[in-house]
Amino acid sequence: MAFTWESALEELRRRHEEARRLGGAERVERQHAQGRQTIRERIGQIADDFTEVGEFATFPIRDAAGTEVGTLPSSYVCGLGTVDGRQVAIGGEDFTVRAGAPQTYLDRWKGGMGGFVEDLAHEYRIPLILFMEGIGGDVSAQDEKGHSYLVSSMSWRRSFELMSQVPVLVAVLGSAAGGTAGRAVVSHFSVISKGSVLFAGGPPVVRRALGQTVDKHELGGAEMHTSVSGAMDNLAEDEADAIDQLRRVLSYLPQNVWELPARGDRSDPVDRSCDELLKIIPENRRRPYKMREVMRTIVDQDSLFEIGPGWGRAVITAFARIDGIPVGVIGNNPMHLAGALDGAAAEKQIRFVDLCSTFHLPIVYLVDVPGFMVGPEAERRGVVRMGMRAIQSIIEAEVPVVTVHVRKAYGMAVSATSNPDALGLRIAWPSVEWGDMPIEGGVEAGFRREIERADDPEVFRRQAEERLLALADPWKTVEAFGMEMMIDPRQTRKVVADFLNAGLHAMRSRVGPSDRRWSMRP
Amino acid sequence: MHEVRTELTASVWKIVVPVGASVRQGDEIAILESMKMEIPIEAPVSGVVTEFLVEEGAAVQEGDLLARISAD
Repeated sequence: MAFTWESALEELRRRHEEARRLGGAERVERQHAQGRQTIRERIGQIADDFTEVGEFATFPIRDAAGTEVGTLPSSYVCGLGTVDGRQVAIGGEDFTVRAGAPQTYLDRWKGGMGGFVEDLAHEYRIPLILFMEGIGGDVSAQDEKGHSYLVSSMSWRRSFELMSQVPVLVAVLGSAAGGTAGRAVVSHFSVISKGSVLFAGGPPVVRRALGQTVDKHELGGAEMHTSVSGAMDNLAEDEADAIDQLRRVLSYLPQNVWELPARGDRSDPVDRSCDELLKIIPENRRRPYKMREVMRTIVDQDSLFEIGPGWGRAVITAFARIDGIPVGVIGNNPMHLAGALDGAAAEKQIRFVDLCSTFHLPIVYLVDVPGFMVGPEAERRGVVRMGMRAIQSIIEAEVPVVTVHVRKAYGMAVSATSNPDALGLRIAWPSVEWGDMPIEGGVEAGFRREIERADDPEVFRRQAEERLLALADPWKTVEAFGMEMMIDPRQTRKVVADFLNAGLHAMRSRVGPSDRRWSMRP
Repeated sequence: MHEVRTELTASVWKIVVPVGASVRQGDEIAILESMKMEIPIEAPVSGVVTEFLVEEGAAVQEGDLLARISAD
């Protein structure tokens, strides 16, 4: 048949329609009945504009005798999208086609784990947004190849490389198992919707391997991963919330590490007096307070967005803006373990500090820490090693760290709150108390022999405590320039903003991939 | 009926309101003690406190039920 534009365009249109049918009406309906959107609907919801790549990739469906009886679109949808005016690479598994199994049947891989969408983000240096819903491996792939294969033949290099180049933001919506679960955690921010699950192996695999019968939500549910394992950062109410969270996180980050994050709106006056702080911090030192409220008071109005609120709760990590400058805010949480840094909190802090350093967000640290968490449970979970890693990561951070001392600052954990090798700027409020160790336990430990030998151990202990308490007056430390500044808390916003603005000059001159040299963590 | 649970391992230092008290969301109903700090337990909803399942001095574990509130 001779070529005509009419028939050629008709064929293009027909194939376009076919791609839109995904795995067929029945499977799309099943997806919707379970409260989940299709991959095309998800992309449509986050992107104002989307140019698809590989739209016409398909694979043949065969009957039991091997005769081709039709085709289905490939199980991955990807392309170039626009999110809030910014170009991004977007992709996701189509769960209605073979439950989103990887596409070993195509000439070129489309999806995450080193596929086209990752090349697009890498080569054009644009953020990567992934919607994850898939079962990982699929035995039918062996059928197609005609032999079994080792997963180790596939390289993860590109996925890991992206972690130091462009923002990688992931939403798990539905089930993510095996390789899909693995890909989901190789990200700067991950969100999982309620009812979704993520695991190395699902309940049937667990039953076979361990003889245990477990419910899939108990095994790897969204709630568990955002409160216990920390494998996912944030929990979302539903798909719309997850997509909002992806968009929100993107707003704080640059397109890539060779750029600075965009400065936001500066309408909240930088010299606004933070009067509420005097009400938030109780005069009674035994009473804790809501550190999130302290953060909200200081940062630009409505700019605070918390990362990982449900796990490692002794520390709070959040993106925010101060005078429009995107920043990472970290604060000890006196409501949880009195703010003592345990292994989980340290791990969360390390991940956040690394993220801020990678994408050039200065860090503002609000300190109220009684020390590393103590006790048998904390020790068994490796608090000492994790705590030291937290100290290493903040010293290595290639961004200004402005530290605000709110109340307690005792022991080694304080070293995880500032960077003395850089400017090491620490600002104290008059509500502070600090030292090598809290006086009470410290006298017990430091003068054990003297107390035992004293004629009246109780009197000796009390006198020692009184003497040391007098020396613990924070003003004495400030007089010795052992603390850089003491300010009225109400001026915090202005003072912090001044230093952040000054820090922008250094940030601009250092923009680029990380230059961190300590390749080994303790 | 709303359940009030503790998010941390602590001891019950004070029960602030009696059973039957009307409380507003955010009111302190009990105070726990952990790591030498007094941790307030706030009513998650406005309503009437129908029951306390712990006594002052009791040790509580993360996730333990402290009280029930019948919401308005």
